Amino acid sequence: MSPRHLAPAAAALAAALLAGACAAPAAESPTESVDRPWDEVLAEAEGQTVDLWMYGGDDRGNAYVDDVLAPAAADLGVTLRRVPVADTKDAMRRLLAERAAGADDGSVDLVWVNGDNFATGQEAGAWLCGWSDDLPNADYVAPEDPLVSEDFGVAVEGCESPWHKAQFTFAYDSARVSDPPTTVAGLLDWAEAHPGRFTYPAPPDFTGSVFVRQALYALSGGADSVPTTFDREAFDELTPALWDRLRDLAPSLWREGRTHPRDQVALDRLFADGQVDFTMTYGPATLTDLVDSGTFPSTTRVLGVTDGTVGNASFLAIPASSPDRSGAMVVADLALSPQQQAAKADPDVWGQFTVLDLDLLESDARRAFDRLPDSPVVPAYEELSANAQPELSSAWVTPLDEGWRREVLGRR
Amino acid sequence: MRRSTRAAAYVLALVWLCVPLLPVIVWAGAERWSFPDVLPQAWGLAGWRDAGSAGLPLALLRSLGLGLAVSAVATPLGVMTGRVLGWRLTRRPIVVVGLLLVPLVLPPFAVAMGLDVVLIRIGLPELVSVVLLLAVVAIPYTAYTSATGFARTSPELEAQARALGATRRQARLRVVLPAMRGSILVAALLAFLVGWSDYVVTLLVGGGQLVTAPVLLGSAASGSGNDAMVAAMALATLLPPVLLVSAAAGLRWREPVAPENTVTMPESERMR
Amino acid sequence: MTSRGLRGAAPGIVSITVVSGTGMVAVLATSVGLMPLYGRPEPSLDGWRAAAPDLVAGIGESLLIAVPATVLAAVVGLGLAMLMLGGGRAVSVVRVACLAVLAVPHLVGATSVSLLLGDGGVAARLATPVTSGTWPALVGGPWPVATVLELAWKESAFVALVVLAAVAPGHRARMEVAAGLGARGWQRVTRVLVPTAVPAVGAASLVTLVYAIGSYEVAWLLGRAVPEPLPVLAFRLFGSIELTDRPAAAAAAVTGAALAVCVTLPALAALPRLRSLSARGSS
Repeated sequence: MSPRHLAPAAAALAAALLAGACAAPAAESPTESVDRPWDEVLAEAEGQTVDLWMYGGDDRGNAYVDDVLAPAAADLGVTLRRVPVADTKDAMRRLLAERAAGADDGSVDLVWVNGDNFATGQEAGAWLCGWSDDLPNADYVAPEDPLVSEDFGVAVEGCESPWHKAQFTFAYDSARVSDPPTTVAGLLDWAEAHPGRFTYPAPPDFTGSVFVRQALYALSGGADSVPTTFDREAFDELTPALWDRLRDLAPSLWREGRTHPRDQVALDRLFADGQVDFTMTYGPATLTDLVDSGTFPSTTRVLGVTDGTVGNASFLAIPASSPDRSGAMVVADLALSPQQQAAKADPDVWGQFTVLDLDLLESDARRAFDRLPDSPVVPAYEELSANAQPELSSAWVTPLDEGWRREVLGRR
Repeated sequence: MRRSTRAAAYVLALVWLCVPLLPVIVWAGAERWSFPDVLPQAWGLAGWRDAGSAGLPLALLRSLGLGLAVSAVATPLGVMTGRVLGWRLTRRPIVVVGLLLVPLVLPPFAVAMGLDVVLIRIGLPELVSVVLLLAVVAIPYTAYTSATGFARTSPELEAQARALGATRRQARLRVVLPAMRGSILVAALLAFLVGWSDYVVTLLVGGGQLVTAPVLLGSAASGSGNDAMVAAMALATLLPPVLLVSAAAGLRWREPVAPENTVTMPESERMR
Repeated sequence: MTSRGLRGAAPGIVSITVVSGTGMVAVLATSVGLMPLYGRPEPSLDGWRAAAPDLVAGIGESLLIAVPATVLAAVVGLGLAMLMLGGGRAVSVVRVACLAVLAVPHLVGATSVSLLLGDGGVAARLATPVTSGTWPALVGGPWPVATVLELAWKESAFVALVVLAAVAPGHRARMEVAAGLGARGWQRVTRVLVPTAVPAVGAASLVTLVYAIGSYEVAWLLGRAVPEPLPVLAFRLFGSIELTDRPAAAAAAVTGAALAVCVTLPALAALPRLRSLSARGSS
């Protein structure tokens, strides 16, 4: 090959690669309803391997999927493979790129998702829709439950199947905090009065991001004062006070606010080591086990805040590019079954709140939930979710995260 | 320079070179070391236990595999290119030299960002993509290193072997390659280091799936708050390349070549 | 011979061309909206417009890191090389230390520097009796001190080894000739050693400068949140799945690459001149 031929050949190869990448992407979501008999879906699912992409930083969540959910799926003839990701956005980037390539043999079959990730996928037409309402176990979900029919303000429309409910919760060590605050605004004051004893994960980490939204509610005079759908005017009006407050607070945080823990796991570690007196989580049921195992001090308590905290639900969604749709639906249905929901709600297993309406369950299925041990640390879901506030629409999330980075982190 | 200033200069040089790594070494053996004590209050291996349960052994194995794979791709390609440059087989070496500069000049993260979508859309597995990209980053190093090696070896060697009846293949594999052993080893070592040390390409193209030792260290260092664990990870990531390079330096030191060549450190010695 | 010779170089050269070429064209296409993460490709400069203020700040921050780091690395590296050229038993120790530093991954170096210079780091502990607990924000503070020091530290070892390799052959002979011509100790250094070393220092500095412009992990770990150098900016935006962020990320990547090319081309043109200058200087 002479140099004269070399360059065009290389250029042609590069051009071919690019042309393949620019292929016209599909826009609207494909739908797949399950109006065919469920037995048919089960039969088709048999032998399929379902890749469940989920945040891998929660050891107990990993253990539940590997040791409880996967064996149950295997009994139905479906191989469930857990693919851990550091951030759900890693799975999103992949499935969006596969969707844009028009692939129907993608590598993601099922994703643990909610909020802005779901909204983006919906906008891109990347989810398989119209299936989740038809799952047999969807009968046990209350149809009018707003937490399950809407995901951060975006209508679910059968594009994802609920998995668990969550209530944002602050926890503290009662041995070290003698005067626990009773409101979120009071918590910020407490942090200022006790330098170095409080911090929060840096948004865009999931937990840190919720904390900022919670603080926005608290400083704006409650959830009612913040419009649920994103509104630039409201943003410009409400956020300056939030940034001012958080910026003023920064010097009183752990390490003077110069570094923030990376995520909730890192914050939990600081709490366990006694470096800070508060931690926060969207999965409060895990606190019981953390106390039992001695990771957290036995004096750990949930902070009751009278103004209430935000609650949400998280879901399992099937990408349109999944080659194992039936298998993925079978796993989503299995995950919604009363047995699995009860097992998952056990604080010794994972401790995630169920999305099922217990009044719709048959009596023996219900008893499984009644038998769940009471926790000395965490009050029941009903008590935790008293005064619960709705999540802001996902369109709020990125501007708030970006605003925090610029206005709080960047202007110390 | 007087003897005492000279000694002082040596001490200063070693302080500059070694002190930045001291915290990692001390922290890796500390169980508890709270501010403002100058030495840890308690020594222990808690950091190593935490690093172990965070997946350090597997991450190190992945890094080893990645380094070997990058080396396996970049070394032969670099040696072939280096032969052309070292033996001046082309009338326009400037073209080859210029193209070899491209991966050094263009930031790897920029190339990786562009390729990420392309590679996912054509359906290449992440691991293959990462190896391919890092191999391209490593080729300039392997090419320049072997070019200097070829420049020191006479092209006549291959011609003589052919004259004695060897096929072209035999001449290259049995005669030229053994004569080039030292340079090829250094080239392979450099390519290995590129794969072992990389952070940004592995993270970008690997999509969080390929957790090598640097990727694990990066996520721990950016806010786990567990300094002992971070230090243990850092030390484990640091030791293999440093030991390899020191061993290679020791070997070359003993090789019976002219001392002026032993300090040959071409532009190719860029390891990340 | 030419074509057969090039055939040997072809696999390496073709892979570089295909991978780098595809990558750069794709990132350019992404920046102007031709390769969106999803949706219809439409040419638009929205990504560039959205990122423009950050890009300007990013160029400034990238240079604020890369230039001081390169200057410091060049000065210290030249010093280390001169020390090693002087001979003595400690030479091999310094040389092995340089090689070891070169082999340290930058991320490990950055981790260690953060434990050294950060809040509650070793330096802050040592300084406590003097400073009574107040320690300047070298990590993540208003000036990228820790970032510059880490890059300068590792790259000084590189500069030292490159200069040593370039100058060591014939060094003793040149010094003896210069001494024979009556040059004193200091004159031998400024009139003979430094001019001989200049091309190597120049080349190594250029490589360092370009690397520092394109490097991500050091500034990411040790730098401040706002403004970010171009690689950190690009990487952060790239991780977002917002439709508008991806073209902005690509714009930052293109700007970073352009900055690297812009410092390389004039420097490459200047390097032969440096060489001829030094040739005259040492004759």
